[in-house]
Amino acid sequence: MSRIYTPWFLLAVALGLAAIYLFPLYWMYITSLKSGSEIFANPPTFWPTSANIGVFGDVWARRTMPTYLWNSVVIAGGVTAITVVLGTGCAYVLARYRNVWIDVGLFCVLMLQVLPASVMVTPLFVGFNQIGLLNYPRTAVILAAAAKAMPFFVVLVRATFMSVPRELEESALVDGNSRVGAFFSIVLPLARNGILVCAILTFMSAFGEYIYSKSIIQSPVLQPASVGLSGFLGPNSTDWNSIMAYSAIYVTPILVVFVILQRRIVAGLTSGALK
Amino acid sequence: MRFLNALRDGVGFDILLVGAALLFLVALAGLPLVYNVLMSFQQVDMFSLGSLFRPFVGFDNYVAVVRQPEFWLVTRNTLIFVFGSMTGQFVLGFALALFFAQNFPGASTIRGLFLVSWVMPGLVVGGIWSLILAGDYGVLNVILRGLGIIQSNVFWKSDPAFSIWAVIIANIWLGLAFNMLLLSVGLAAIPRDLYEAAALDGANAFQRFWTITLPMMRPTIGAVLSLGLIGTLQQFDLFPALTEGGPANTSNVAGFWSWQLSFQLYDFAKGATVSVMMFLLVLFASVIYVRSTRHEVRG
Repeated sequence: MSRIYTPWFLLAVALGLAAIYLFPLYWMYITSLKSGSEIFANPPTFWPTSANIGVFGDVWARRTMPTYLWNSVVIAGGVTAITVVLGTGCAYVLARYRNVWIDVGLFCVLMLQVLPASVMVTPLFVGFNQIGLLNYPRTAVILAAAAKAMPFFVVLVRATFMSVPRELEESALVDGNSRVGAFFSIVLPLARNGILVCAILTFMSAFGEYIYSKSIIQSPVLQPASVGLSGFLGPNSTDWNSIMAYSAIYVTPILVVFVILQRRIVAGLTSGALK
Repeated sequence: MRFLNALRDGVGFDILLVGAALLFLVALAGLPLVYNVLMSFQQVDMFSLGSLFRPFVGFDNYVAVVRQPEFWLVTRNTLIFVFGSMTGQFVLGFALALFFAQNFPGASTIRGLFLVSWVMPGLVVGGIWSLILAGDYGVLNVILRGLGIIQSNVFWKSDPAFSIWAVIIANIWLGLAFNMLLLSVGLAAIPRDLYEAAALDGANAFQRFWTITLPMMRPTIGAVLSLGLIGTLQQFDLFPALTEGGPANTSNVAGFWSWQLSFQLYDFAKGATVSVMMFLLVLFASVIYVRSTRHEVRG
C-alpha cells in the first residue's frame, strides 16, 4: 500500500525543497512591494500588508532604467554576435577532426575558460587605454566579455556538432556540394537548436555582466543595468524596496525566458558541459 | 585561385574557421595574460600608464604585495572562501542530485527550476542575499531564531567573524544548482543493473552508495570539484554587493583585492601582481580539470 504513495510523497518533498531554494527570488518580489517601514518590521511579514505597485514606475524613471537596460541589451547583443559568429565555426572544426592539433586547440580553449575576469581586467584596462579603445567603452567591454564567453560557448556547441552524423555531411560532399555549401546547408541547420540555446545562455550571462563594465565604462549614459544597480547597492544599503524593484525589473525578462526554455537549456548544458 | 579553392573546399576552410576564433582569443585573452605578467615586474604609475616600456623593478612588486598587512588575511580568506563554497555546493548538490535521481512525477522539471540561480546576474543575487542576511531586520536571522538555532541576531555582513561566511552562503546558493545538474548527469550514466545485482546480493542502500555510486562517479566528481574551484575563484560580483571586502578586509579575497588595488587605489602594478598569483592558483585547478575531462577531450 505504502509503495503507491511514495512517488507523491517524494514530489511533495521536492516541491518543498524547491520552495526553500527559490525563497530568495520570492523575497525579492515581496520586498519590492513593501513599504519602507514594513521592510524593517520585526517580525517580518511574509506577505505585504499593502502592496505598493507604484515603486516600479518610480524606480524606472528615477534611476533612468531605460538607458541602463538599453546599454545592457547593446552589450549583451554585441557579445552574443561575436561569440556566435566566431565560436560556431571554431566548435565545428574542433568537433569534426580528431588529432593532436585539435587536442591542443581544445586544451587552449579549456584553459581560457578558467581565467577569472578579475585577473584579466587589469591588463585589459591598461592595454585598452594604450590603444585608445577606452574612448569607445562599450565596444571595449563587448570585446573583453566576448573573449570571456567564447570558450564556454565553444565547448557546448562542439558537443552539439558531435551529435550531427558525419555521413550526412559526407553525402552532401559526394553530391557535389563544396565544404562551404555543406556547412551552411546541412550541418548548420541540423545544429541550429543547440546553437540557439547556447546563444541565449551567452546573452543572458552577458546581460548580467558587471566587472568589465564597472571598470571600463565611466560615463553613466553608457553603463549597463548591473553598474546602475551597484550605484545604490552596498554593504550599508537601506533603500531596499527601490533596490529590489530595480532587481525585479532587471531579472524578470531573464527568468521568463529561462522558464520557457528550461528543458532545452538543461538538455544543452548536460550534453555539452560534461560527457 | 588555388588558394580560393582551398578556402571553399579544402582544409583552408577549417583553418579559416578555427583561426579567426583563436586569433580573437589570443588577442583578448592570451596577450593580456602575458602583459599582466610583464606589468607585475614593472613600475606602473599614472605617468607611465600609457607606455609599454616602463622601468623594470624585478620582484619588488611581489615583495611589496606580500608585505602588505592584509596579505595573509586575504590569503586565508581566499582559502576559506574556496573550501567553504566548494564543500557546501558539492555536498548539498550531491544530496539533491541523489534525491532527484529517484523516480517520481515532475522530478526533472523541478530539478530544472533550481537552475534559475545560475542565470541570475551575480550582482542581483548579492543584493538579495544582502537583504536576507541583514543583521537586525534580515529574514535569515528571524528564521534561525524561530528554529532555536541562534539566540541573538548574527550580524552576518558587519561582524568580522562572519563576514566571509555571508559571501560563502550566497555563493553556495549561486553555484549549488550547477553542481547538482552535472552530478545528476553522472548519476544517470550509471547502469541500472549494477544496483539490481547489488540489491539481489543483499547490499543495503548505504553499501550500494559506497561501493557502486561513489566509484562509478569518480570522473564526474573530479570534474565537478575542479569546475567548482574554478567557478569560485571567478566569483566577483557578490563581493561589491554584499561586503565590499569589509569590515577591515575580513571578507576580502584575492580576486576582489586585485580589483581594488587596480581600480580603487590605481596601483595597477600591485593589482597585476596579485592577479598573477591568483592565476597560478587557477592554473593548478585547471590542470586537474583537464585531467579529469581527458576522456571527454579524446571524445
